[in-house]
Amino acid sequence: MFQEKLFAVAAPLLFLLLMFPVSVFSEESADCISCHGSMKGRIKSQNGVLIELHVDADKFKASVHGTLTCAECHARFAGTAHASAGKSLPSNLLSLSSQLSSKFRVDAIAGAACIACHEETYQQVLSSVHGKNIIEKKQSDGALCIDCHGSPHYITKVKDGNSPMSRKYQVETCLHCHADKSIINKYNLEENVMDSFKESFHGRKLHLGHTRAPSCASCHNSHDIKTKTDPASPVFGKNKLETCGKCHKGANEKFVQAITHKRPGPIPHYGEKLLILLTIGTFAFIVLHVLLEVFADIREAVFRKKEGK
Amino acid sequence: MSAINKSTQDIPKEIERFDITFRIQHVIMFTTFLLLSFTGWGLKYAHDPEGLSSIWIRIWGGADTAGLIHRIAGVTMLLDFIWHVIYLCYLFATKQLTFNTTTTLIPLPKDVIDIIKNFMYFFGLSKEKAKFGKFSYAQKFDYWAVFWGMFIIGSSGYALAFPMQATYLIPQFAAGWIWELLGLMHSDEALLAIVFILFWHFYNEHLRPGVFPMSWIWITGKISTEQLKHHHPLEYERLFPDEAKKDKKG
Repeated sequence: MFQEKLFAVAAPLLFLLLMFPVSVFSEESADCISCHGSMKGRIKSQNGVLIELHVDADKFKASVHGTLTCAECHARFAGTAHASAGKSLPSNLLSLSSQLSSKFRVDAIAGAACIACHEETYQQVLSSVHGKNIIEKKQSDGALCIDCHGSPHYITKVKDGNSPMSRKYQVETCLHCHADKSIINKYNLEENVMDSFKESFHGRKLHLGHTRAPSCASCHNSHDIKTKTDPASPVFGKNKLETCGKCHKGANEKFVQAITHKRPGPIPHYGEKLLILLTIGTFAFIVLHVLLEVFADIREAVFRKKEGK
Repeated sequence: MSAINKSTQDIPKEIERFDITFRIQHVIMFTTFLLLSFTGWGLKYAHDPEGLSSIWIRIWGGADTAGLIHRIAGVTMLLDFIWHVIYLCYLFATKQLTFNTTTTLIPLPKDVIDIIKNFMYFFGLSKEKAKFGKFSYAQKFDYWAVFWGMFIIGSSGYALAFPMQATYLIPQFAAGWIWELLGLMHSDEALLAIVFILFWHFYNEHLRPGVFPMSWIWITGKISTEQLKHHHPLEYERLFPDEAKKDKKG
Protein backbone atom coordinates (compact mmCIF):
# COMPACT_ATOMS: atom_id res chain seq x y z
CA MET A 1 0.00 0.00 0.00
CA PHE A 2 2.69 2.40 1.05
CA GLN A 3 4.78 1.43 -1.93
CA GLU A 4 1.91 2.19 -4.27
CA LYS A 5 1.46 5.58 -2.71
CA LEU A 6 5.15 6.26 -2.94
CA PHE A 7 5.10 5.31 -6.59
CA ALA A 8 2.13 7.59 -7.25
CA VAL A 9 4.09 10.50 -5.85
CA ALA A 10 7.51 9.59 -7.12
CA ALA A 11 6.54 8.82 -10.71
CA PRO A 12 5.32 12.30 -11.59
CA LEU A 13 8.24 13.79 -9.70
CA LEU A 14 10.67 11.70 -11.68
CA PHE A 15 8.88 12.71 -14.83
CA LEU A 16 9.16 16.35 -13.80
CA LEU A 17 12.88 15.86 -13.45
CA LEU A 18 13.02 15.05 -17.14
CA MET A 19 11.61 18.48 -17.88
CA PHE A 20 14.64 20.20 -16.43
CA PRO A 21 17.79 19.78 -18.43
CA VAL A 22 20.54 18.35 -16.37
CA SER A 23 23.91 19.93 -16.78
CA VAL A 24 25.77 17.92 -19.35
CA PHE A 25 29.03 19.83 -19.34
CA SER A 26 32.08 17.82 -18.77
CA GLU A 27 34.33 19.16 -16.08
CA GLU A 28 36.71 20.44 -18.71
CA SER A 29 34.03 22.36 -20.64
CA ALA A 30 32.75 23.83 -17.41
CA ASP A 31 36.19 25.27 -16.85
CA CYS A 32 36.13 27.03 -20.23
CA ILE A 33 32.55 28.18 -19.87
CA SER A 34 33.19 29.59 -16.40
CA CYS A 35 35.23 32.32 -18.07
CA HIS A 36 33.83 32.48 -21.60
CA GLY A 37 30.26 32.34 -20.42
CA SER A 38 30.62 35.72 -18.74
CA MET A 39 33.16 37.33 -21.06
CA LYS A 40 31.84 39.97 -23.41
CA GLY A 41 33.24 41.56 -26.54
CA ARG A 42 35.95 40.62 -28.96
CA ILE A 43 39.69 40.40 -28.79
CA LYS A 44 42.25 40.93 -31.50
CA SER A 45 44.49 37.97 -32.23
CA GLN A 46 48.17 38.28 -33.10
CA ASN A 47 47.42 38.31 -36.82
CA GLY A 48 44.75 40.96 -36.44
CA VAL A 49 41.59 38.87 -36.48
CA LEU A 50 38.79 39.73 -34.11
CA ILE A 51 37.72 36.79 -31.99
CA GLU A 52 34.35 36.62 -30.28
CA LEU A 53 34.99 35.73 -26.65
CA HIS A 54 31.48 35.10 -25.42
CA VAL A 55 29.93 31.65 -25.45
CA ASP A 56 26.30 31.46 -24.39
CA ALA A 57 26.26 28.46 -22.09
CA ASP A 58 22.53 27.78 -22.37
CA LYS A 59 22.44 28.05 -26.13
CA PHE A 60 25.52 25.86 -26.41
CA LYS A 61 23.96 23.27 -24.16
CA ALA A 62 20.79 23.26 -26.24
CA SER A 63 22.67 22.89 -29.51
CA VAL A 64 23.28 19.52 -31.18
CA HIS A 65 26.90 19.73 -30.02
CA GLY A 66 26.06 20.56 -26.42
CA THR A 67 27.49 17.29 -25.15
CA LEU A 68 30.91 17.72 -26.74
CA THR A 69 33.85 19.02 -24.78
CA CYS A 70 35.46 22.23 -25.95
CA ALA A 71 38.79 20.54 -26.64
CA GLU A 72 37.21 18.04 -28.98
CA CYS A 73 37.16 20.78 -31.61
CA HIS A 74 39.58 23.30 -30.09
CA ALA A 75 42.23 20.62 -29.92
CA ARG A 76 45.22 22.88 -30.25
CA PHE A 77 45.87 26.55 -29.84
CA ALA A 78 48.83 28.17 -31.44
CA GLY A 79 50.13 31.51 -30.37
CA THR A 80 47.10 32.50 -28.38
CA ALA A 81 46.24 32.97 -24.75
CA HIS A 82 45.84 29.23 -24.43
CA ALA A 83 49.03 28.19 -26.20
CA SER A 84 49.53 24.54 -25.56
CA ALA A 85 51.92 21.89 -26.67
CA GLY A 86 48.97 20.02 -28.02
CA LYS A 87 48.25 16.37 -28.08
CA SER A 88 48.93 14.32 -31.14
CA LEU A 89 46.18 14.79 -33.69
CA PRO A 90 45.10 12.52 -36.53
CA SER A 91 46.99 13.24 -39.73
CA ASN A 92 43.90 13.82 -41.86
CA LEU A 93 42.81 16.57 -39.47
CA LEU A 94 46.23 18.19 -39.54
CA SER A 95 46.50 18.14 -43.33
CA LEU A 96 42.97 19.47 -43.71
CA SER A 97 43.59 22.28 -41.28
CA SER A 98 46.65 23.37 -43.25
CA GLN A 99 44.55 23.39 -46.44
CA LEU A 100 42.00 25.62 -44.74
CA SER A 101 44.55 28.23 -43.68
CA SER A 102 43.14 30.82 -46.10
CA LYS A 103 39.72 30.46 -44.52
CA PHE A 104 40.63 30.16 -40.86
CA ARG A 105 43.32 32.56 -39.84
CA VAL A 106 42.94 31.79 -36.17
CA ASP A 107 41.91 28.26 -35.30
CA ALA A 108 42.06 26.15 -38.44
CA ILE A 109 42.13 22.97 -36.34
CA ALA A 110 38.68 23.77 -34.94
CA GLY A 111 37.47 24.60 -38.45
CA ALA A 112 38.68 21.23 -39.66
CA ALA A 113 37.53 19.34 -36.58
CA CYS A 114 34.02 18.77 -37.98
CA ILE A 115 35.56 16.05 -40.15
CA ALA A 116 36.12 13.88 -37.09
CA CYS A 117 32.40 13.12 -36.91
CA HIS A 118 31.12 14.31 -40.30
CA GLU A 119 33.75 12.72 -42.54
CA GLU A 120 31.56 11.93 -45.56
CA THR A 121 29.76 15.27 -45.50
CA TYR A 122 32.99 17.20 -45.13
CA GLN A 123 34.54 15.39 -48.10
CA GLN A 124 31.48 16.32 -50.18
CA VAL A 125 31.89 19.96 -49.21
CA LEU A 126 35.58 19.92 -50.06
CA SER A 127 34.87 18.65 -53.57
CA SER A 128 31.98 21.11 -54.03
CA VAL A 129 32.34 24.49 -55.66
CA HIS A 130 32.34 26.08 -52.22
CA GLY A 131 35.09 23.82 -50.88
CA LYS A 132 37.29 23.99 -53.97
CA ASN A 133 37.18 27.75 -53.78
CA ILE A 134 38.93 27.56 -50.41
CA ILE A 135 41.28 24.64 -50.96
CA GLU A 136 42.25 25.14 -54.61
CA LYS A 137 41.75 28.86 -55.14
CA LYS A 138 42.83 29.71 -51.59
CA GLN A 139 40.01 32.22 -51.18
CA SER A 140 38.84 33.36 -47.78
CA ASP A 141 35.21 34.08 -48.64
CA GLY A 142 34.07 30.66 -49.81
CA ALA A 143 31.35 29.03 -47.73
CA LEU A 144 32.27 26.29 -45.29
CA CYS A 145 30.33 24.58 -42.47
CA ILE A 146 29.72 27.53 -40.19
CA ASP A 147 28.95 30.04 -42.97
CA CYS A 148 25.74 28.15 -43.65
CA HIS A 149 24.99 26.43 -40.33
CA GLY A 150 25.82 29.39 -38.13
CA SER A 151 28.08 29.59 -35.12
CA PRO A 152 29.48 26.13 -34.32
CA HIS A 153 28.51 26.56 -30.68
CA TYR A 154 24.81 26.97 -31.43
CA ILE A 155 24.12 24.65 -34.35
CA THR A 156 20.63 23.22 -34.24
CA LYS A 157 19.04 20.62 -36.48
CA VAL A 158 18.08 21.82 -39.95
CA LYS A 159 14.51 20.76 -39.18
CA ASP A 160 14.54 23.12 -36.21
CA GLY A 161 12.77 26.27 -37.34
CA ASN A 162 15.55 28.58 -36.19
CA SER A 163 18.43 26.93 -38.02
CA PRO A 164 19.87 29.16 -40.74
CA MET A 165 19.45 26.16 -43.04
CA SER A 166 15.78 25.65 -42.14
CA ARG A 167 13.16 26.16 -44.83
CA LYS A 168 12.35 29.49 -43.26
CA TYR A 169 15.85 30.96 -43.28
CA GLN A 170 17.71 29.02 -45.94
CA VAL A 171 17.13 31.50 -48.76
CA GLU A 172 18.30 34.39 -46.60
CA THR A 173 21.40 32.44 -45.59
CA CYS A 174 22.42 31.66 -49.19
CA LEU A 175 21.70 35.26 -50.15
CA HIS A 176 24.32 36.53 -47.69
CA CYS A 177 26.77 35.77 -50.47
CA HIS A 178 24.60 35.29 -53.55
CA ALA A 179 22.99 38.72 -53.28
CA ASP A 180 26.26 40.40 -52.33
CA LYS A 181 27.36 42.58 -55.25
CA SER A 182 31.07 42.31 -54.51
CA ILE A 183 30.94 38.51 -54.40
CA ILE A 184 28.71 38.37 -57.48
CA ASN A 185 31.22 40.46 -59.41
CA LYS A 186 34.25 38.64 -58.04
CA TYR A 187 33.03 35.18 -59.04
CA ASN A 188 30.89 36.26 -62.00
CA LEU A 189 27.71 34.83 -60.42
CA GLU A 190 24.15 35.17 -61.70
CA GLU A 191 23.15 38.57 -60.38
CA ASN A 192 19.38 38.22 -60.35
CA VAL A 193 19.18 35.15 -58.12
CA MET A 194 17.50 36.82 -55.16
CA ASP A 195 14.87 38.79 -57.06
CA SER A 196 14.05 36.01 -59.48
CA PHE A 197 13.55 33.47 -56.69
CA LYS A 198 11.51 35.77 -54.47
CA GLU A 199 9.31 36.75 -57.42
CA SER A 200 8.86 33.18 -58.62
CA PHE A 201 5.95 30.96 -57.63
CA HIS A 202 8.46 28.78 -55.76
CA GLY A 203 9.76 31.72 -53.71
CA ARG A 204 6.32 33.12 -52.95
CA LYS A 205 4.96 29.77 -51.86
CA LEU A 206 7.99 29.07 -49.68
CA HIS A 207 7.56 32.48 -48.07
CA LEU A 208 3.90 31.76 -47.34
CA GLY A 209 4.76 28.44 -45.73
CA HIS A 210 3.82 25.99 -48.49
CA THR A 211 5.03 22.61 -47.25
CA ARG A 212 6.29 21.36 -50.61
CA ALA A 213 7.72 24.57 -52.06
CA PRO A 214 11.43 24.22 -52.82
CA SER A 215 14.22 26.22 -51.24
CA CYS A 216 17.72 26.65 -52.71
CA ALA A 217 19.05 23.24 -51.74
CA SER A 218 16.01 21.43 -53.16
CA CYS A 219 17.30 22.01 -56.68
CA HIS A 220 20.99 22.84 -56.23
CA ASN A 221 21.84 20.23 -53.56
CA SER A 222 23.61 21.21 -50.39
CA HIS A 223 27.02 19.88 -49.38
CA ASP A 224 28.04 18.69 -52.84
CA ILE A 225 26.87 21.84 -54.60
CA LYS A 226 28.34 22.37 -58.08
CA THR A 227 28.37 25.28 -60.49
CA LYS A 228 25.69 25.18 -63.16
CA THR A 229 28.38 24.59 -65.81
CA ASP A 230 29.57 21.40 -64.07
CA PRO A 231 27.99 18.34 -65.74
CA ALA A 232 27.52 16.89 -62.25
CA SER A 233 25.29 19.80 -61.23
CA PRO A 234 21.61 18.91 -60.81
CA VAL A 235 20.72 22.01 -62.83
CA PHE A 236 23.15 21.29 -65.69
CA GLY A 237 21.47 20.66 -69.05
CA LYS A 238 19.46 17.46 -69.09
CA ASN A 239 19.96 16.87 -65.36
CA LYS A 240 17.15 19.38 -64.90
CA LEU A 241 14.67 16.79 -66.17
CA GLU A 242 15.40 14.61 -63.16
CA THR A 243 15.74 17.51 -60.71
CA CYS A 244 12.45 19.17 -61.66
CA GLY A 245 10.92 15.70 -61.91
CA LYS A 246 11.40 15.18 -58.18
CA CYS A 247 8.29 17.32 -57.65
CA HIS A 248 6.87 17.76 -61.16
CA LYS A 249 6.21 14.26 -62.40
CA GLY A 250 6.92 13.91 -66.10
CA ALA A 251 8.97 17.11 -66.38
CA ASN A 252 10.04 17.49 -70.01
CA GLU A 253 12.33 19.71 -72.08
CA LYS A 254 9.76 22.46 -72.51
CA PHE A 255 8.78 22.43 -68.85
CA VAL A 256 12.24 22.69 -67.31
CA GLN A 257 12.86 25.97 -69.07
CA ALA A 258 10.30 27.59 -66.78
CA ILE A 259 12.79 28.27 -63.99
CA THR A 260 15.94 30.29 -64.49
CA HIS A 261 17.43 33.00 -62.35
CA LYS A 262 18.03 35.25 -65.33
CA ARG A 263 16.25 38.51 -65.89
CA PRO A 264 13.06 38.17 -67.97
CA GLY A 265 13.73 38.22 -71.71
CA PRO A 266 12.35 40.94 -74.03
CA ILE A 267 9.01 39.24 -74.69
CA PRO A 268 7.90 38.88 -71.06
CA HIS A 269 9.44 42.28 -70.29
CA TYR A 270 7.60 44.22 -72.98
CA GLY A 271 4.61 41.93 -72.66
CA GLU A 272 4.26 43.05 -69.07
CA LYS A 273 4.70 46.69 -70.07
CA LEU A 274 1.85 46.26 -72.56
CA LEU A 275 -0.37 44.62 -69.93
CA ILE A 276 0.37 47.41 -67.47
CA LEU A 277 -0.51 49.98 -70.11
CA LEU A 278 -3.76 48.17 -70.81
CA THR A 279 -4.53 47.92 -67.10
CA ILE A 280 -3.81 51.59 -66.41
CA GLY A 281 -5.78 52.63 -69.49
CA THR A 282 -8.79 50.62 -68.38
CA PHE A 283 -8.48 51.91 -64.81
CA ALA A 284 -8.39 55.45 -66.09
CA PHE A 285 -11.45 54.97 -68.29
CA ILE A 286 -13.64 53.23 -65.74
CA VAL A 287 -12.71 55.48 -62.83
CA LEU A 288 -13.20 58.60 -64.96
CA HIS A 289 -16.51 57.30 -66.31
CA VAL A 290 -17.87 56.36 -62.88
CA LEU A 291 -16.80 59.65 -61.27
CA LEU A 292 -18.11 61.80 -64.13
CA GLU A 293 -21.42 59.96 -64.03
CA VAL A 294 -21.71 60.45 -60.28
CA PHE A 295 -21.03 64.18 -60.58
CA ALA A 296 -23.39 64.56 -63.54
CA ASP A 297 -26.15 62.70 -61.69
CA ILE A 298 -25.69 64.90 -58.61
CA ARG A 299 -25.67 68.02 -60.79
CA GLU A 300 -28.81 66.86 -62.57
CA ALA A 301 -30.55 66.06 -59.26
CA VAL A 302 -29.73 69.53 -57.92
CA PHE A 303 -30.93 71.23 -61.09
CA ARG A 304 -34.11 69.21 -61.20
CA LYS A 305 -34.83 70.19 -57.61
CA LYS A 306 -34.41 73.84 -58.50
CA GLU A 307 -36.65 73.50 -61.55
CA GLY A 308 -39.19 71.73 -59.34
CA LYS A 309 -39.28 74.75 -57.09
CA MET B 1 -38.01 37.35 -72.37
CA SER B 2 -39.82 34.80 -74.47
CA ALA B 3 -43.15 34.89 -72.72
CA ILE B 4 -43.87 38.55 -72.57
CA ASN B 5 -47.37 39.82 -72.83
CA LYS B 6 -47.41 42.32 -75.62
CA SER B 7 -51.01 43.39 -75.18
CA THR B 8 -51.39 47.01 -74.30
CA GLN B 9 -54.06 46.23 -71.75
CA ASP B 10 -51.97 44.84 -68.92
CA ILE B 11 -48.38 45.83 -68.69
CA PRO B 12 -46.64 43.50 -66.23
CA LYS B 13 -45.10 45.09 -63.17
CA GLU B 14 -41.84 43.35 -63.91
CA ILE B 15 -40.28 41.31 -66.65
CA GLU B 16 -37.73 38.53 -66.59
CA ARG B 17 -34.32 39.74 -67.66
CA PHE B 18 -32.19 36.70 -66.85
CA ASP B 19 -33.52 33.16 -66.73
CA ILE B 20 -32.63 30.75 -63.94
CA THR B 21 -29.71 29.24 -65.90
CA PHE B 22 -28.05 32.62 -66.36
CA ARG B 23 -28.61 33.41 -62.70
CA ILE B 24 -26.97 30.17 -61.57
CA GLN B 25 -24.08 30.79 -63.95
CA HIS B 26 -23.68 34.26 -62.44
CA VAL B 27 -23.66 32.92 -58.87
CA ILE B 28 -21.03 30.31 -59.73
CA MET B 29 -19.02 32.96 -61.57
CA PHE B 30 -18.91 35.43 -58.68
CA THR B 31 -18.41 32.79 -55.98
CA THR B 32 -15.40 31.35 -57.77
CA PHE B 33 -14.23 34.87 -58.64
CA LEU B 34 -14.19 35.86 -54.98
CA LEU B 35 -12.41 32.67 -53.91
CA LEU B 36 -9.82 33.14 -56.66
CA SER B 37 -9.31 36.79 -55.78
CA PHE B 38 -8.91 36.14 -52.06
CA THR B 39 -6.50 33.24 -52.40
CA GLY B 40 -4.62 34.72 -55.35
CA TRP B 41 -4.14 38.09 -53.67
CA GLY B 42 -2.07 36.47 -50.92
CA LEU B 43 0.25 34.93 -53.49
CA LYS B 44 0.54 38.05 -55.65
CA TYR B 45 1.58 40.16 -52.68
CA ALA B 46 3.38 37.40 -50.79
CA HIS B 47 6.27 39.65 -49.74
CA ASP B 48 4.65 43.03 -49.19
CA PRO B 49 3.47 44.23 -46.84
CA GLU B 50 5.73 42.19 -44.62
CA GLY B 51 3.98 39.29 -42.94
CA LEU B 52 0.41 40.33 -43.77
CA SER B 53 0.05 37.95 -46.68
CA SER B 54 1.26 35.06 -44.55
CA ILE B 55 -1.47 35.80 -42.00
CA TRP B 56 -4.05 36.19 -44.79
CA ILE B 57 -3.03 32.86 -46.34
CA ARG B 58 -3.19 31.16 -42.96
CA ILE B 59 -6.82 32.31 -42.70
CA TRP B 60 -7.41 30.35 -45.90
CA GLY B 61 -5.92 27.22 -44.37
CA GLY B 62 -2.27 27.71 -45.26
CA ALA B 63 -0.50 27.86 -48.58
CA ASP B 64 -1.25 24.25 -49.54
CA THR B 65 -4.98 24.57 -48.91
CA ALA B 66 -5.21 28.03 -50.43
CA GLY B 67 -3.54 26.65 -53.57
CA LEU B 68 -6.03 23.81 -53.72
CA ILE B 69 -8.98 26.19 -53.26
CA HIS B 70 -7.56 28.37 -56.04
CA ARG B 71 -7.25 25.45 -58.45
CA ILE B 72 -10.69 24.01 -57.72
CA ALA B 73 -12.31 27.45 -58.02
CA GLY B 74 -10.41 28.13 -61.24
CA VAL B 75 -11.49 24.90 -62.93
CA THR B 76 -15.08 25.45 -61.75
CA MET B 77 -15.06 28.95 -63.21
CA LEU B 78 -13.75 27.70 -66.56
CA LEU B 79 -16.43 25.00 -66.64
CA ASP B 80 -19.06 27.62 -65.77
CA PHE B 81 -17.84 29.73 -68.68
CA ILE B 82 -17.95 26.79 -71.09
CA TRP B 83 -21.46 25.95 -69.86
CA HIS B 84 -22.49 29.55 -70.55
CA VAL B 85 -21.18 29.46 -74.13
CA ILE B 86 -22.82 26.10 -74.82
CA TYR B 87 -26.09 27.35 -73.33
CA LEU B 88 -26.00 30.41 -75.61
CA CYS B 89 -25.39 28.17 -78.63
CA TYR B 90 -28.33 26.03 -77.56
CA LEU B 91 -30.59 29.08 -77.21
CA PHE B 92 -29.60 30.28 -80.69
CA ALA B 93 -29.99 26.81 -82.21
CA THR B 94 -33.50 26.44 -80.80
CA LYS B 95 -34.44 29.99 -81.86
CA GLN B 96 -35.15 30.98 -78.24
CA LEU B 97 -32.58 33.68 -78.79
CA THR B 98 -32.36 35.64 -82.01
CA PHE B 99 -30.16 38.47 -83.11
CA ASN B 100 -31.73 41.88 -82.73
CA THR B 101 -29.87 45.18 -82.68
CA THR B 102 -31.66 46.40 -79.54
CA THR B 103 -31.26 43.19 -77.53
CA THR B 104 -27.84 41.99 -78.58
CA LEU B 105 -24.76 42.05 -76.38
CA ILE B 106 -22.54 42.42 -79.42
CA PRO B 107 -20.96 45.88 -79.56
CA LEU B 108 -22.40 47.97 -82.40
CA PRO B 109 -21.60 51.44 -83.79
CA LYS B 110 -24.51 52.74 -81.73
CA ASP B 111 -22.54 51.98 -78.56
CA VAL B 112 -19.77 54.34 -79.63
CA ILE B 113 -22.36 57.04 -80.28
CA ASP B 114 -23.88 56.29 -76.87
CA ILE B 115 -20.52 56.76 -75.18
CA ILE B 116 -20.07 60.12 -76.91
CA LYS B 117 -23.63 61.13 -75.97
CA ASN B 118 -23.07 60.14 -72.35
CA PHE B 119 -19.79 62.03 -72.10
CA MET B 120 -21.53 65.10 -73.52
CA TYR B 121 -24.11 64.67 -70.78
CA PHE B 122 -21.35 64.25 -68.16
CA PHE B 123 -19.77 67.54 -69.22
CA GLY B 124 -23.09 69.33 -69.35
CA LEU B 125 -23.14 69.64 -73.12
CA SER B 126 -26.32 67.64 -73.41
CA LYS B 127 -29.35 67.41 -71.16
CA GLU B 128 -30.10 63.78 -71.82
CA LYS B 129 -28.26 60.55 -71.26
CA ALA B 130 -27.98 58.10 -74.14
CA LYS B 131 -30.98 55.80 -74.63
CA PHE B 132 -30.11 52.13 -74.33
CA GLY B 133 -31.58 48.92 -75.64
CA LYS B 134 -31.61 45.78 -73.54
CA PHE B 135 -27.92 46.20 -72.75
CA SER B 136 -26.09 49.50 -72.37
CA TYR B 137 -22.52 49.89 -73.56
CA ALA B 138 -21.44 49.69 -69.92
CA GLN B 139 -23.11 46.30 -69.61
CA LYS B 140 -21.62 45.10 -72.88
CA PHE B 141 -18.19 46.18 -71.66
CA ASP B 142 -18.86 44.32 -68.42
CA TYR B 143 -19.91 41.18 -70.28
CA TRP B 144 -17.04 41.03 -72.74
CA ALA B 145 -14.53 41.79 -70.00
CA VAL B 146 -15.33 38.33 -68.66
CA PHE B 147 -14.48 36.83 -72.05
CA TRP B 148 -11.20 38.74 -72.05
CA GLY B 149 -10.52 37.52 -68.53
CA MET B 150 -11.29 33.93 -69.47
CA PHE B 151 -9.00 34.19 -72.49
CA ILE B 152 -6.05 35.78 -70.67
CA ILE B 153 -6.38 34.71 -67.01
CA GLY B 154 -8.21 31.45 -67.63
CA SER B 155 -5.80 30.12 -70.25
CA SER B 156 -2.67 31.21 -68.35
CA GLY B 157 -4.11 29.85 -65.11
CA TYR B 158 -4.83 26.52 -66.72
CA ALA B 159 -1.29 26.34 -68.09
CA LEU B 160 0.19 27.22 -64.69
CA ALA B 161 -1.98 24.75 -62.80
CA PHE B 162 -1.41 21.90 -65.27
CA PRO B 163 2.00 22.68 -66.77
CA MET B 164 2.67 19.18 -68.10
CA GLN B 165 -0.50 19.28 -70.20
CA ALA B 166 0.39 22.78 -71.31
CA THR B 167 3.79 21.64 -72.63
CA TYR B 168 2.02 19.71 -75.40
CA LEU B 169 0.48 22.95 -76.64
CA ILE B 170 3.47 25.22 -76.16
CA PRO B 171 5.64 25.48 -79.28
CA GLN B 172 9.35 24.81 -78.86
CA PHE B 173 10.43 28.37 -79.67
CA ALA B 174 8.19 29.80 -76.94
CA ALA B 175 9.28 27.48 -74.11
CA GLY B 176 12.08 29.84 -73.06
CA TRP B 177 9.89 32.82 -72.29
CA ILE B 178 6.27 31.72 -72.16
CA TRP B 179 6.25 30.63 -68.49
CA GLU B 180 7.42 34.01 -67.33
CA LEU B 181 4.80 35.65 -69.55
CA LEU B 182 2.03 33.33 -68.33
CA GLY B 183 2.73 34.26 -64.72
CA LEU B 184 2.72 37.97 -65.52
CA MET B 185 -0.45 37.70 -67.60
CA HIS B 186 -2.24 35.81 -64.88
CA SER B 187 -1.36 38.15 -62.07
CA ASP B 188 -1.58 41.50 -63.88
CA GLU B 189 -4.91 40.79 -65.55
CA ALA B 190 -6.31 39.37 -62.32
CA LEU B 191 -5.63 42.70 -60.65
CA LEU B 192 -7.36 44.42 -63.56
CA ALA B 193 -10.34 42.10 -63.19
CA ILE B 194 -10.66 42.78 -59.45
CA VAL B 195 -10.54 46.56 -59.86
CA PHE B 196 -12.87 46.35 -62.85
CA ILE B 197 -15.47 44.44 -60.82
CA LEU B 198 -15.10 46.73 -57.81
CA PHE B 199 -15.54 49.94 -59.78
CA TRP B 200 -17.34 49.23 -62.99
CA HIS B 201 -19.61 46.31 -62.25
CA PHE B 202 -20.44 47.27 -58.68
CA TYR B 203 -21.15 50.90 -59.44
CA ASN B 204 -23.07 50.37 -62.64
CA GLU B 205 -25.17 47.42 -61.48
CA HIS B 206 -25.53 47.84 -57.73
CA LEU B 207 -24.38 51.11 -56.22
CA ARG B 208 -25.81 53.62 -58.68
CA PRO B 209 -28.63 55.88 -57.47
CA GLY B 210 -31.98 54.13 -57.68
CA VAL B 211 -30.46 50.68 -57.29
CA PHE B 212 -28.31 51.19 -54.19
CA PRO B 213 -27.36 49.21 -52.18
CA MET B 214 -27.95 46.20 -54.37
CA SER B 215 -29.79 45.22 -57.49
CA TRP B 216 -32.07 42.22 -56.91
CA ILE B 217 -31.87 41.13 -60.53
CA TRP B 218 -29.13 38.60 -59.79
CA ILE B 219 -31.51 36.76 -57.41
CA THR B 220 -34.95 37.27 -58.95
CA GLY B 221 -33.85 37.73 -62.54
CA LYS B 222 -36.61 40.32 -62.87
CA ILE B 223 -36.49 44.03 -63.57
CA SER B 224 -39.42 46.32 -62.82
CA THR B 225 -41.08 47.80 -65.88
CA GLU B 226 -40.45 51.21 -64.37
CA GLN B 227 -36.70 50.56 -64.15
CA LEU B 228 -36.72 49.12 -67.65
CA LYS B 229 -38.42 52.22 -69.01
CA HIS B 230 -35.90 54.44 -67.26
CA HIS B 231 -32.66 52.58 -67.93
CA HIS B 232 -33.47 50.68 -71.13
CA PRO B 233 -36.03 52.86 -72.98
CA LEU B 234 -35.43 51.24 -76.36
CA GLU B 235 -36.04 47.78 -74.92
CA TYR B 236 -39.23 49.10 -73.30
CA GLU B 237 -40.37 50.48 -76.65
CA ARG B 238 -39.64 47.16 -78.31
CA LEU B 239 -41.58 45.16 -75.71
CA PHE B 240 -44.49 47.55 -75.27
CA PRO B 241 -44.71 49.58 -78.50
CA ASP B 242 -48.28 50.75 -77.96
CA GLU B 243 -47.68 51.81 -74.41
CA ALA B 244 -44.52 53.67 -75.41
CA LYS B 245 -46.44 55.56 -78.08
CA LYS B 246 -49.09 56.49 -75.55
CA ASP B 247 -46.42 57.77 -73.18
CA LYS B 248 -44.93 59.91 -75.90
CA LYS B 249 -48.28 61.46 -76.74
CA GLY B 250 -49.09 61.99 -73.08
